[in-house]
Amino acid sequence: MIALGIVALATLAANGSRQLRYSAVALLGVSLAANVVTAGQLSVTQLAVEGCGALVACGILYVAARDRTYGEDPGWRLWLATIVAAAATAACFATLRTASSETVTVPLIGEDPSGVTAQVAAFWLISSGVAILVTAQTPVRGSLGALLMITGVELLVRLLTVPQLGLSLVFGWVEVVIALAGGFLIVNERVVREN
Amino acid sequence: MTIAAAPLVLAVAGCGAFVLRKRLNIVGPFSLMAIAIAFALVVVNPPDATGTLLDLELRATGLGRLASAVILATLFLLVLDVWLDEPAYNFFPTALAVGATSLGVLVLTAPLAIFGVLMLGLLVPVGSFTFQVHRNRSVEAATRHFGFVALGGCLGIAALALAASLPHEQPANTFVLLVVVLVVAFALLLAAIPFHTHAALLAGEVPPSALALYFGVLVPTTFIAFVEILTLSGLLPAIVQVVKVQDLLHGIGLTSAVGGAFLASGAPDLRRLVTYSVISNLGAALVGIATLSGPGIIGALASVIVTGASASGQLLAAGTLERRSAPERPTARKAPLAALAFVVGGFALIGAPPLLGFPGRFFMELIAYQFAPLTGAALVLATLLLIVGQLRAVLALFGSGVERWALEPRPVAGIIGAVIFVALLIGGIQPDGFLRPIASFADEFLRALRPL
Repeated sequence: MIALGIVALATLAANGSRQLRYSAVALLGVSLAANVVTAGQLSVTQLAVEGCGALVACGILYVAARDRTYGEDPGWRLWLATIVAAAATAACFATLRTASSETVTVPLIGEDPSGVTAQVAAFWLISSGVAILVTAQTPVRGSLGALLMITGVELLVRLLTVPQLGLSLVFGWVEVVIALAGGFLIVNERVVREN
Repeated sequence: MTIAAAPLVLAVAGCGAFVLRKRLNIVGPFSLMAIAIAFALVVVNPPDATGTLLDLELRATGLGRLASAVILATLFLLVLDVWLDEPAYNFFPTALAVGATSLGVLVLTAPLAIFGVLMLGLLVPVGSFTFQVHRNRSVEAATRHFGFVALGGCLGIAALALAASLPHEQPANTFVLLVVVLVVAFALLLAAIPFHTHAALLAGEVPPSALALYFGVLVPTTFIAFVEILTLSGLLPAIVQVVKVQDLLHGIGLTSAVGGAFLASGAPDLRRLVTYSVISNLGAALVGIATLSGPGIIGALASVIVTGASASGQLLAAGTLERRSAPERPTARKAPLAALAFVVGGFALIGAPPLLGFPGRFFMELIAYQFAPLTGAALVLATLLLIVGQLRAVLALFGSGVERWALEPRPVAGIIGAVIFVALLIGGIQPDGFLRPIASFADEFLRALRPL
C-alpha cells in the first residue's frame, strides 16, 4: 500500500514538473515503486531486467533535457490529467478488475498476493499516461505519458501466470526505445524551437 | 535457435549499421548483405520448425515464411534505392531494425511478445522520419506518430494482458470492452480512418523512403500481427459469440475502405494518393477479417502483403519524380521510367488482373457480397474511387506529354518499380504458391474460431 502511494505521488510529481530533468527523476521513482509493488511475483533476474530498463529510460530523458531548465509547463493539463486519471482508475478497477480473490486484503507493508495493489497502480499509471499523452503538445510530455503507460502495462503483464523472463526483456526494451525515440524528438523539437 | 537466426542477424547488423551509418559506401552494401543473409536463413528454415528463445516459443509458419520473404525483398529494394539514389544515413540502421522486429513478430507465438516486438518496430522509424527540421514539419509528424504508437501499443497490450487474466465467470460486457480496446488499439496503429491523422501528416512531411518503410513493411506486419494475435490469444471463440465486436471491425473496415478511397480520389499529390490507397486497402482487408470466413481471411492477408510491396514501389517512384521535377509539380518528362513505375504500381494497388493483387481483392469483394450486399457494393465503390485517383495521377504525370522517351540518369526507382511489377505479374499468373500458405493460416484461424 505504501508503494502504491509512492507510485501515485511520484506520478503527480512527474506530471506537475516544469523541468524535464525533475520529471525524469520522478519517473525513476515511479518505476522503482512499481517494482516494489510486484516484487513478490518476479525473480531477481526479471526485476533486474525491468529495473535496468527503467533506469536507462529515465537516464535518457535526463540527458535529453541537456540542462535543468528545459521542460514544459503543464498548466491546466496537470489538473485535467489528474482528474481523468483518478476517475478512470476507479472506473477501470470497478469494471476490469481480474484479481481472483473476492475479499480484498491489502497489507500496508509487504507482499500483496491478491494483486489488487498492482492492478490499481497499473490502472492509475495507464490512465495518467493516456491523459498526459492525449493532451501533450510537445515530445516532452508525450514521452512522459508514454513511459508512464508502459510502466503500467509492465505491472499488468507481471500479474499473468506465464513465463516472464522473455516478456520482461521485451518490455524492458520497449521502455528504452520509447525513451530513445522520445529523447530524439525532444532534441529535434528543441532545435526547431530555438531557431 | 536457427528459427531466430534471421531476426537476430538483422538486429546485430542494425547495431553495426548504426556505427557505420555515416560511411554510405560501406553501410549500403553492408545492409544489403545482411538482408540477403537473413533472406537465405528464412528460406532454408524448414516449414513448421519450432524453437525456444529465453522462455518464448517460436514457430516458422507458412504465412510467416511468405511474409518474411516479401518483407525482406521489399527492404532490400528500399535499401538499394536509398544507397544509390537518395542517401539518408539514418535509414540503414532503421531499415535493419524494422526488418528484425518484423521477422520477430512473424516467428513469435506469445501474443504479448508479438505486440511488444511490433511496438518496438513501429517506434524505430521515428529516427528516419525527422529530416531537415528547419524546413519542414517532420518533427511534428514524427511526434504525432510516436504518440499514436505509444497510445495504441500500450492500450492494446494492457487489454490483452487483462483478457488473459480474466476469470471464467467474468461478465460478457467486460470481455467486450477489452476486445473493443484491442481493436481500437490496432486501428490506431494501422492508421485506419478516423485514426489516420498522423499518417496524413507523415505522408506530407517525411522522406519517401521512410514512408515506404512504414507503409510497405510496417503496416502489413501490423495487420498480420493483428490476425495472429486474434488467433493465438484464444479470443476468437468469444468474439464469434459477441456480434458487437464483429460489427465494430466491420464498421472500422468499411469507414476506412470507403473514406480512404474518397481521400485518394482527390489526393493533392502522389504521396498522399499512395498513403490513402493503402489505408483504403487496409480497411477492405479489415472487412475481410470481420467476415470470419476462409475466403475473407485469405483475401485480406493476400491483399495486405501485395499492397505493401506495390506501395513501396509507388512511393519510391513518387520520391524520384518529386526530386527530379522540383520545384515544379512531378511530371513524366523529367523521369519517364519512374512515372511508368508509379503507374504500374497503381495497377497492383487497385488489384487489377493479372497482377497478384487481383486474387485477394476478388476474394474479399466476393465474400463481402455474400456477407451483406451493401458491404460488397461499398468495397466495389472503394475500388472505383481508387481507380479514379490513380487515373488522375496518370493524367497529371503524362498529361503534358513526354517529348523524348529517354531513360533518366540513375533510373533506380524505375528499375525497382519494374522488378516489383514483374514479380507481381509472375505471382498473378501462378498465384498458387502465394495463396497456399495463406490458406493454411486461414485454416488455423478457423480452427481457433471454433475449437473442438
